Amino acid sequence: MTTEKGFEPKIIGFLCNWCSYAGADKAGGMQEPYPPNVQVIRVMCSGRVDPQFVLSAFEKGADGVIILACHPGDCHYKEGNCRALQRHSMLSLMLGQLGVEKERCRLDYVSAGEGEKFGRVIREMVEAVHKLGPLCLSQED
Amino acid sequence: MKIGIYFCNCGSNIAEKISSEAIIAAAKTFPEQPYVTIVDFICSEDGKLQFEESLKLEQPDRVVVAACSPRDHEATFRRCLINAGMNPYLMQMVNIREQIAWVTEDPAVATEKAIGAVRGAVMRVTLQQPLEKKQLEVCPDALVIGAGPAGMKAALSLAEAGRSVVLVERTPFIGGLPVRFEELFPALECAPCMLEPLMGDLLHGDHAGNIELMTMAELVEVTGFYGNFIAKIRQKPRHVSLHECIGCGECVEACPAITMNVFNSNASERKAIDFAFAGVLPNAPFLMEEICLRYKAEECRACKDACPMGEDVVNLEEVETIVERRIGSIILATGAGLYDASQIAGMGMGTLPDVYDALQFERMLSSTGPTGGEIVTTAGNAPSSVAIIHCVGSLDDDHKPYCSGICCQYAFKFNHLITAKLPETTITHYHRELVVPGKEAHTLYKHAVKNKNSCMKRYDGIKDLAVTVDVSGQQQVSAKGDAAPADMVILCPAVIPAEGAGKLSALLDVSRDSFGFFRELHGRMDAAQSTIKGVYLAGACQEPMDTRSAMLEGMAGVGYTLAGLQPGRTLEIEPINAEVDETHCAGCRLCVSVCPYRAISFDTEHNASSINAVLCHGCGTCVAACPAGAITGHHFTNEQIMAEIEGVLK
Ligand SMILES: Cc1cc2nc3c(=O)[nH]c(=O)nc-3n(C[C@H](O)[C@H](O)[C@H](O)COP(=O)(O)OP(=O)(O)OC[C@H]3O[C@@H](n4cnc5c(N)ncnc54)[C@H](O)[C@@H]3O)c2cc1C
Ligand code: FES
Repeated sequence: MTTEKGFEPKIIGFLCNWCSYAGADKAGGMQEPYPPNVQVIRVMCSGRVDPQFVLSAFEKGADGVIILACHPGDCHYKEGNCRALQRHSMLSLMLGQLGVEKERCRLDYVSAGEGEKFGRVIREMVEAVHKLGPLCLSQED
Repeated sequence: MKIGIYFCNCGSNIAEKISSEAIIAAAKTFPEQPYVTIVDFICSEDGKLQFEESLKLEQPDRVVVAACSPRDHEATFRRCLINAGMNPYLMQMVNIREQIAWVTEDPAVATEKAIGAVRGAVMRVTLQQPLEKKQLEVCPDALVIGAGPAGMKAALSLAEAGRSVVLVERTPFIGGLPVRFEELFPALECAPCMLEPLMGDLLHGDHAGNIELMTMAELVEVTGFYGNFIAKIRQKPRHVSLHECIGCGECVEACPAITMNVFNSNASERKAIDFAFAGVLPNAPFLMEEICLRYKAEECRACKDACPMGEDVVNLEEVETIVERRIGSIILATGAGLYDASQIAGMGMGTLPDVYDALQFERMLSSTGPTGGEIVTTAGNAPSSVAIIHCVGSLDDDHKPYCSGICCQYAFKFNHLITAKLPETTITHYHRELVVPGKEAHTLYKHAVKNKNSCMKRYDGIKDLAVTVDVSGQQQVSAKGDAAPADMVILCPAVIPAEGAGKLSALLDVSRDSFGFFRELHGRMDAAQSTIKGVYLAGACQEPMDTRSAMLEGMAGVGYTLAGLQPGRTLEIEPINAEVDETHCAGCRLCVSVCPYRAISFDTEHNASSINAVLCHGCGTCVAACPAGAITGHHFTNEQIMAEIEGVLK
């Protein structure tokens, strides 16, 4: 079940409203294309990302999940991104136990000004998940 | 449920990449059977009108707007919903411009991605609920803590705007640090004269009636929250009625008990009942119980008998009281102090007789100070050499890593004032860095550089310097062994928060930074707001600054107060916040610990957490943290987000 030809990963991106979502808008303003595989879910803060959202995304067919937050120290709500980081490490462990590669769930930081970085992170993520191939939860169970 | 999708072409911005026909076709396959309306520029005046008219005609239950970023126009389209008689929270936007059309090369791919995003929004919006902004009655009045430049400016301006202000000052006088100085950088303006009009207006001006000044007072408890705080203030007894005392000083003359005066750095004496120093405002003495003979069980009433204004002015029986005031906001203006230079080895502070810190030297320069403004050594001579050591404990990882910003400027002020009084005295500045920013500070610096009797010596670290006394009794400063006489040494220690800042921070729950200054909500955007809503920061309690900045910061606090709380206007509470369902709360209190705004408290009676909607910022961190799923994040509920995930993945 690896890189079959024509496989297009489906990825869910949780973006905090203040930095990362603005960074994605900035990338838009630059009109520099990036792969279309990430569907964005806007949350007010990365601290809102409940681990069950990530699990449910995988369950509903996502091959990868990316959580984008404000840089450490820059969270609009002071420390929501610290919670996101804690939850992400916990998720990585949990996903490992479920047989899901940890590369399928990435946490990164994109500021409102980092349009270029947003595009790069998306490209890297899509490439990484592309290499891993489709996620097939029932088979790996 | 009737759902309307409004698709904006945005001219060719969106239309070029995303086919509206394909969206219409896809919508037909959605179980919700939404209708689709195409608009050319929905954010234009015509577009908004078309949108509103269509909403009125179609009367949908929920609306999806596929257009630009919600960061651009969510508020605009919410207003359109309101104009059409709908609840504004029944709309979801899909960002098909910035995040799809502009960044996807192939129109077929872009269209497919847009269909997924629209499907997600449709599934989400069906679960969205109408939300209402709640209105809360608030008190527009303010509490200002600290009557230095920042606090006085804030209190007076609020009073001028018609607000009632309680101004709490812990010393017996107003004016803060600079009222104790003779002259101020950069223009060598007389400090008490500069402050005089401000202090005069505060005490007796047209708007003084709006200010309740409490000297010798301190905050002891605060309950409530933004808009509705209750403050408890401890009023210590002055034993002299501020309203009736005329400041004649007869009581001082009569008083037999003597002690050292802390307000003159303990370098002069005072009576048990006395003024803090000459010329203070309010112009009334205060009695120190710990010195007064009466409090040592002796039958003295000399002061009371001496008062020409009658029996009631001096009240020897006065006791401490606690008063309660209701206010809506709080401005912290508790100022700064100096780092204890005796903590730094080799400086001779506290061990050598003629080493002074800058505040002690300010008092020596002052005509109301212990020497009446004369610069003299402890032996009573005019110094023929003075060393001014800059950066004492500043820019130093062993002490305070920051630059205190003001020291170089007052050091060059000292240079000017010393030379004016003692033209023959040599002055050596020992400095690490020289910081004279802005458009005015360079003048005193240039004056010092041109002064033929002064010189600059750069040193690397404070460990390279030592203040000593040689065998002949000559005090000297040696820099890496190179010694030079210094009859008088003036230290410029790091500026630190005023004593008691920690106590206030605990009392009000406001955070402090690693140096002990009150922490800003945001260092750039909201530098005059504390981490607690409705508690503002003004002046040197936030970081070292000069009087100009302190006054400006006082005005910033006024701005926040006036803009935030207005008489007769209620406070609108954002409905995008979190709420606990008491019946499901397991009482673990995890939410209390993760909330960055201390908006969540635990109600032991009901064994459940509860969230204060005024303080909640709606970040949703507690919602994600709650193991019992007992917290709802309004407008970002688990169900809504899950539905969106499902929709975009279908
Ligand atoms: C040696 C020295 C020389 C200086 N020279 C100059 C100069 O020449 N020109 C210039 O522009 N600036 C100068 N400054 C800086 C100036 O002193 C400050 O900018 C100014 O004092 C800041 O004003 P403030 O109101 O923030 O604080 P402060 O002046 O410190 O006033 C704070 C007030 O709050 C009161 N307070 C503190 N804690 C409490 C509490 N818990 N409850 C109630 N009241 C409390 C204090 O008693 C005080 O009255 C100098 C500073 C120093 C140290
Ligand atoms: S707001 Fe961006 S991570 Fe909290």
